[in-house]
Amino acid sequence: MTSISNKTAIAGYGATEFSKNSGRSELRLAVEATLGALTDAGIDPAEVDGMATFSMDNNSEQEIFRAIGGRDLKFFARIPQGGGGTLGPVQQAAMAITTGIANVVVVYRAMNERSEYRFGQPMHSLPPTSDNVIFAYHGFSGLMTPAAMLGLMMRRYMHETGATSLDFANYAVLARKYASTNPNAFYYGKPITVEEHQASRMVADPLHLLDCCQESDGGVALVIVSAERARDLRQRPVYIRAAAQGSPKGTVSLGGFYKDNIWPFDECAATARQLYSQSGLSPADLDAAIIYDHFGPSVFPGLEAYGFCAKGEAKDFVKDGHLEIGGKLPINMHGGQLGEAYIHGMNGVAEAVRQLRGTAVNQVPGVRNMLVTAGSGLPTSAALLGVD
Amino acid sequence: MTETTARGHNAPCSNRDFDFFYAGFEGEELLVQRCTQCGTLRSLPSPGCGNCSSLDWEPTALGGEGEIFSYVTHYHPPLPGFSAPHPMALVTMDEGVRLLGAMDGTDPDTLEIGRRVKIEFVRRDAVAAYRFRYL
Ligand SMILES: [Zn+2]
Repeated sequence: MTSISNKTAIAGYGATEFSKNSGRSELRLAVEATLGALTDAGIDPAEVDGMATFSMDNNSEQEIFRAIGGRDLKFFARIPQGGGGTLGPVQQAAMAITTGIANVVVVYRAMNERSEYRFGQPMHSLPPTSDNVIFAYHGFSGLMTPAAMLGLMMRRYMHETGATSLDFANYAVLARKYASTNPNAFYYGKPITVEEHQASRMVADPLHLLDCCQESDGGVALVIVSAERARDLRQRPVYIRAAAQGSPKGTVSLGGFYKDNIWPFDECAATARQLYSQSGLSPADLDAAIIYDHFGPSVFPGLEAYGFCAKGEAKDFVKDGHLEIGGKLPINMHGGQLGEAYIHGMNGVAEAVRQLRGTAVNQVPGVRNMLVTAGSGLPTSAALLGVD
Repeated sequence: MTETTARGHNAPCSNRDFDFFYAGFEGEELLVQRCTQCGTLRSLPSPGCGNCSSLDWEPTALGGEGEIFSYVTHYHPPLPGFSAPHPMALVTMDEGVRLLGAMDGTDPDTLEIGRRVKIEFVRRDAVAAYRFRYL
């Protein structure tokens, strides 16, 4: 069987600044991030022959290609599910390169998600597509926002595990602590306290405002090539040890309320099984992780689904400080999407690259292997990245 | 009472898999699908049976009682058609299927997993709808 494990590597990444108003078009953000990634890798734009992104991205492949001076685009792929899809384009790139379909694949995500439109608004649901009729079915009762959908899942998690909002505060505070020393983060210089978390207004009880991710303008791009090629390039290769998607029985996009376990868990667990099988690694082999935090509380079942602690034990794992540098599994050292910015998880992939290169602002010493995950509570994706 | 459309209801976004559900409220019935091949009930509508893949089904009325499996209260941003705070509950119906319902009219601070509820048929403008109340 053909494996993608360790056959490809992230050779470069690029990112714009993250802001609440970029002052330029989304396409320009995508182009800036792409050119930044190519410069970082030391690859001429004329070599790009593949592109992969999110279905939700508003920037067409060929328009980025036109702007960067591309020559011959052979492979383009898009992955649905918004933030659940983050590592899907990375998997597409790894497969395309491993099978010889493409040689240099740019993965990108760029959006003016604060200044031009905002997610998290009540979902307007016409026309009646297969997903929209489900959003409308739940919206009929007033369940219309991702925060309320995740809140409904997390309330059951709290009931079954004994986790409380004070437990969730521990992550919310940690994310801002990391962000407070990251000049690219919205929360740079602005740590928060447990009391401030508790006093922040309710968005969808049990979720407080300070449990919610940023709304951001910005772009991030990655350049992925074969492992062999990456070794001859400018940067230390960040190998793609595994990449997987997961949507097991009972999964509904932000509406999996009809299966035994309604936590944002099953999709992550299904993805985790593939990652560890593809790579031969286990959770104990991982030195750090980026766990997707559209809503901070989802990190708790995420830690459990990816095997870092048993079901229901994340609250103690977090309370005991294991997410801090020096703990068992430092996570989201850039501040996460609560603290740095919300670029559909792509800024977290960039942070994993920095950590593995040893160039992060909040550097975990000696990182060799990392997990990067995507949005939970819907079909999801994840990857294991590593350096020699 | 407002005239309903040819679909049998006025719900804003539906298709032919979901029309029966909304149409049921016009006659104050809470309908779910029953697979006519294997008998499995399904709540979130689908054209096919997740148990046996049959496309044949019939609507069947539930008794309308169940217990709260989880709940959430929406605060922000403002919702079209509902005032905030807006409580909602995911209910395990006595027949075994789950159903999400609004609980407006109930104090959000009193919501509890395990609490018994009963459906109440309401109209929201021109639309026949439902919500849950404590039993
Ligand atoms: Zn059946």
